[in-house]
Amino acid sequence: MTRTHANHGPVLTRMLGDTGSLIFVVVLIALTVAIPLCNLVAEPGSALHVSNFTVALIGKYLTYALLAVALDLIWGYCGILSLGHTAFFGLGGYAMGMYLMRQIGDRGVYGNPVLPDFMVFLNWDTLPWYWHGMDIFAVAMAMVVFVPGLLALVFGWLAFRSRVTGVYFAIITQAMTYALMLAFFRNEMGFGGNNGLTDFKDILGYSLSSDGTRVALFVASGVGLLIGFLIARFIVTSRAGRVLEAIRDAESRTRFTGYRVELYKVWIFTISAMLAGVAGALYVPQVGIINPSEFSPIASIEAVVWVAVGGRGTLYGAALGAGVVNFAKTWLTGAFPEIWPYALGALFVAVTLFLPKGIVGLVSQLRRQIRRKEPS
Amino acid sequence: MDRFRTTGAARRLIAILVVLGIAFATTAAMAKGDTTGDPPSAGAATPDAQSTPDTPAPAQSATPPVSPAAGDDDAAAPSATDDTAPENEGFDYAGTVAALGEANYPEKRRIVSALASHPQAHTAELLAAFADNRLVARESDGKVFVAEENGNDYDLRDPITFEPAGRASTRDFDPVRTNIGLRQNIGAAQAQLKLSAEDAETRLAAVETMSEKLDDNAADAMRAHRASETDDDVLEAIDRALAINDLNTGDNDAKLAAIERLSGDNSQMVYNRLKNMLILIPEDTADADQARLRAAAAEQVERIDWWRTVYDYLETLFFGLSLGSILVLAGIGLAITFGVMGVINMAHGELIMLGAYTAFVMQQLLPGHIGLALVLAVPAAFIVSGLVGILIERSIVQWLYGRPLETLLATFGVSLFLQQLVRSVFTPLNRSVASPEWMSGLIRFNDLFALTANRLVILAFSMAVFAALILVMQKTSLGLKVRAVSQNRDMARAMGIRTQRLDALTFGLGSGVAGIAGVALSQLTNVGPNLGQSYIIDSFMVVVFGGVGNLWGTLVSGLSLGVLTKFIEPQTGAVLAKIIVLIFLILFIQRRPRGLFPQKGRTAEGS
Amino acid sequence: MLKKTTRHKLVTRVLAPALLTFGAFTGAHAAEDAKADCPIKVGVLHSLSGTMAISESTLKDTALMLIKQQNEKGGLLGCQLEPVVVDPASNWPLFAEKARQLLAQDKVDVVFGTWTSVSRKSVLPVFEELNGLLFYPVQYEGEESSRNIVYTGAAPNQQAIPAVNYLMNEVGVERWVLLGTDYVYPRTTNKILKQYLMDQGVAESDIMINYTPFGHSDWQSIVSRVKAFGSVGKKTAVVSTINGDANVPFYKELANQQISAADIPVVAFSVGEQELSGINTGPLLGHLAAWNYFQSIDTPANEQFIENWHAYTGDDNRVTNDPMEATYIGFNLWTKAVEKAGTTDVDTVIDTLPGLKVDNLTGGTAELLPNHHITKPVYIGEITDDGQFSVVWETDDEVPGDAWSDFLPDSKKLKADWADLDCGHYNTETESCTGQSAEQ
Repeated sequence: MTRTHANHGPVLTRMLGDTGSLIFVVVLIALTVAIPLCNLVAEPGSALHVSNFTVALIGKYLTYALLAVALDLIWGYCGILSLGHTAFFGLGGYAMGMYLMRQIGDRGVYGNPVLPDFMVFLNWDTLPWYWHGMDIFAVAMAMVVFVPGLLALVFGWLAFRSRVTGVYFAIITQAMTYALMLAFFRNEMGFGGNNGLTDFKDILGYSLSSDGTRVALFVASGVGLLIGFLIARFIVTSRAGRVLEAIRDAESRTRFTGYRVELYKVWIFTISAMLAGVAGALYVPQVGIINPSEFSPIASIEAVVWVAVGGRGTLYGAALGAGVVNFAKTWLTGAFPEIWPYALGALFVAVTLFLPKGIVGLVSQLRRQIRRKEPS
Repeated sequence: MDRFRTTGAARRLIAILVVLGIAFATTAAMAKGDTTGDPPSAGAATPDAQSTPDTPAPAQSATPPVSPAAGDDDAAAPSATDDTAPENEGFDYAGTVAALGEANYPEKRRIVSALASHPQAHTAELLAAFADNRLVARESDGKVFVAEENGNDYDLRDPITFEPAGRASTRDFDPVRTNIGLRQNIGAAQAQLKLSAEDAETRLAAVETMSEKLDDNAADAMRAHRASETDDDVLEAIDRALAINDLNTGDNDAKLAAIERLSGDNSQMVYNRLKNMLILIPEDTADADQARLRAAAAEQVERIDWWRTVYDYLETLFFGLSLGSILVLAGIGLAITFGVMGVINMAHGELIMLGAYTAFVMQQLLPGHIGLALVLAVPAAFIVSGLVGILIERSIVQWLYGRPLETLLATFGVSLFLQQLVRSVFTPLNRSVASPEWMSGLIRFNDLFALTANRLVILAFSMAVFAALILVMQKTSLGLKVRAVSQNRDMARAMGIRTQRLDALTFGLGSGVAGIAGVALSQLTNVGPNLGQSYIIDSFMVVVFGGVGNLWGTLVSGLSLGVLTKFIEPQTGAVLAKIIVLIFLILFIQRRPRGLFPQKGRTAEGS
Repeated sequence: MLKKTTRHKLVTRVLAPALLTFGAFTGAHAAEDAKADCPIKVGVLHSLSGTMAISESTLKDTALMLIKQQNEKGGLLGCQLEPVVVDPASNWPLFAEKARQLLAQDKVDVVFGTWTSVSRKSVLPVFEELNGLLFYPVQYEGEESSRNIVYTGAAPNQQAIPAVNYLMNEVGVERWVLLGTDYVYPRTTNKILKQYLMDQGVAESDIMINYTPFGHSDWQSIVSRVKAFGSVGKKTAVVSTINGDANVPFYKELANQQISAADIPVVAFSVGEQELSGINTGPLLGHLAAWNYFQSIDTPANEQFIENWHAYTGDDNRVTNDPMEATYIGFNLWTKAVEKAGTTDVDTVIDTLPGLKVDNLTGGTAELLPNHHITKPVYIGEITDDGQFSVVWETDDEVPGDAWSDFLPDSKKLKADWADLDCGHYNTETESCTGQSAEQ
């Protein structure tokens, strides 16, 4: 998995020097441009038309892909397996949800101009302190990255400083996301309990149910994924990225060489958490609800599965994996509602056994075989 | 029919008046037949008594269709034997029975009690029919019958004489409903009728049944019976019951005497009544007698409370150990597959689930032998889950050794697969696994302390499984080889250990133990496709907290997490308790990154 | 003559295309299609996997059975009904996605589905946006009324309050334990009950409220606390809003600690025949449940329904339960409305629905009220040893469902009326439709 990187030259060539990444970026940009056009411009009924449903669906996949990229950044490049990454995704989502909730204003069913409906019916008379300011878009967006980042910083600092690694780290991240899920289930927390936040009306003054907003959110997700991917690429192709890979492959040796391993780890973990937070924030307005089940430990494991299916340690593979697995889920739950878990389970087993490097690994393996055949 | 429908409210009123009449009649009878010299208790028993004497008359005038009301001497009770007594004078038996048709539950309770105090030839049969839900009321006029279902019809009998009263469609009748409280009252009333049985045992049983549903009628009956009672045990039981009754209804002296008599009795019933006394008498009462009474009651309550606190702590400790033993059971299989072999076995929960379903299947195969089936389910579940485990190991896991994180992915797939398999075979619904006799109910140590049998059995079972596993690992050649392989695989192979076969066996052992855990869990929780999901996270926590690769660590960690949870829970509630334990776990791992009992050595660093 | 043709031309050449384009943009054309479509598509949106499959898969089967029966009777408006089953897998965002798929891709005419409140909440915006029609068959906390949803399960006043009345008046309960899973239905129900009990003169110290997490499986301490709470000399009862999975361990613990129904009766709002089929009910005799339907209620309609259910599933031991009856009522309301309206067009059907009456399975009538809730009888049943309930008490008449509870201060002033006011949360104090005024 070690790969030599062109460490000189302009940043962009460095980042996109790898064919896979280049193809991914081109395809992503094409998608982000073409799908909105096909949705808005092409006549319904024509072959080029993309329905609203598809736009919403792919928009959702894009946010999952960003989560997968964030996860691959730490797992694929630094060997940190987080089984609690949806915690950050969820926190980002809740920050966005709080903003959207405040935008409802007095259009809630009880007509209270300040308090969201769920607070009114639990007889709360004032807004909890942490809800203040969340009606300002900029503040909410700052929280989207700040809250997951802070949690990751504290958690990572505690864990990496005392050299919690491997499965131990994986299990305590599970404990973290599980504890968050239970906490958010509690109505006293002021986040709507089990129902979470829902019934959103509009974002930045635009109605969430209008086609234009949906397309805009789609574009935002595409751009978000692109930027997230480029940030991740930038990091892994930089000098620091090589230290990360060294940590992944031989942590003790890197430490003895004089690198402050825990600092590298905390920092990459924090960045990854922030990316996950952004993914969550983009996800919420598109699905229209955020609730504690996003924090469920199983959801985190599933996110790891996306990365593994796509191919760990390539970033674009993770994004691809998120897309493939979720598309499979969408398709199978509609087409074979009674038996789809068999297919999904079999897919996971097959990928581990036959495609240890995921789908991306399959592609490069095929290419190598072709290349090997050519000379002979 | 419509005419009667519209008079429903009127008939309800009549029913109430009849009941009031009964109360009056009872009081009157009491005043006459009282031998114990305790008149105030009768007065206190029926507060309405004072106002009753006048009410029967208007009731009577308003009720031509139903029955003559209480107080009517030549009541419609035709063939009743008159020798049952002077107290039957003035009691309208037939009217009382007729009122059942429209009575609500409190009224029904009073009616039952009154019937038992004024029995006639068929009262016992009537009460038995009532308890079995065989009383019906005709929709058209509310008349009560005893009914026997016969196809779509009822064979009817008169509730007083038990003469056949024809046959009619079930659709024309409403059941005279009973609820559990009422059935208990009926039971007490039936017991009251048995007070005069020949056999002392029967009488004792009767007194005990009546003690559970003490009301004044029952107390009066016991008091009346006491004079003719010869058996010491029965006398003792009657005195206790009367004393308990006095706590509520006696005068001050009687109450004081009762407190004296019952001191040292920690039972719920006594405690309840004493406590009630504390509520009824204000703390700063001016009345010296009342104050004295209150002090006596308070002393008893205080003493019982002290014992309660002591036992509460014991109980919480037991709850914690019991929860812990379940965590140990669920985690111990994983301590082998994950701890010893390094496989992140996400299908562990499903292997537990398979064990629980094995228990279900065994009970289906051996209907009528609940306990035997459960005992046999233990080896069966070990084999089923063990074989599935070996299958998983041979087909999937063996290709992934040294890549622990990929075992997570593959076994996650297996877990989805197994869940759906169970859904397809057994439907998504929960299955019922019955508990054998010896695993149900309480084991009572004294009035204040009792432990649930199933938890005790499971605690013992869990320890036994643990001990067996330790023996296998420490004393058998299999255990020796497993430890050898886990410490240094290459060296072990060089020493001639067939590592492949051993891997399969070890994984099978861990899976089999998970299956055994499933049998135990089937006694406590849902047997359904999601059973495994709810234990997988806890299992991992327990193993990691204890220290991967250390069975003793798993034991200590499971038990201590259980006890910790149970001591936090009363203060914070279950949700917060769980969150606190999780945070504790995270912080603990930061302090000791390899758990309570870290494994030492080279391989431990490799994960 | 000439004039007339030109006018005609004007209409066909200019106005019609303009209207059509406009229609295409607003999505109004979907309704036009639906009317002409044969077969009529019926969406079934119940979890078939994941944690809720235990409860929901039965309702999928019920819906399929009703569709099959309808088709055997010749379908609807001369069309056959075609079920479209999807699996939202107990995953709330997936519910929203699947709802969108049913409405936008499969273009179903009606959807029967969802169970938990959160799944309903997550599909609600989708149904409102795409103007679909959902029949929701489960008892819930109320505080909602959407134009696009018909609630055929019980509101709190059709289950909780009558149950408490029974315990208070017929059993003489003075002290109350409100146990629930920590989510919105128990929270709201307990809030309403607490207010109601206090209005009836129950002291606050005589009410104990306790919440547990989802799937809570260790009930030892809580049951033991209930026991202690019930031991001060006043008759005590437990009102349980414990959710699905946690019930079996709860009842097993009750049985083991020998809390008899005669001492401390437990009345549950989420435990029906199906939940009991996973428990040995021997030790639970006499504990209570409040529902609007019990399998044991002996009427010809119910007998027929059970017989059909057994025939359809091929299993004579399959039980029926309250949400199944609610699905049955919902399905019949819908078919009746479609027949009356002569179309499956959602707007027309929604306008036709209020005031329609269909028979329920217990010998009464379910009327759809303008607030999109229905009238229901309330039964209190005691658990019997064969896993059924025997009715111990029932209301004299059907109780109309309340969308907005009278026992919550902020909801007291609201009412829902889709027949005249066209508003789901009309504020009777300000005489305006809250929320909507701001939108206009």
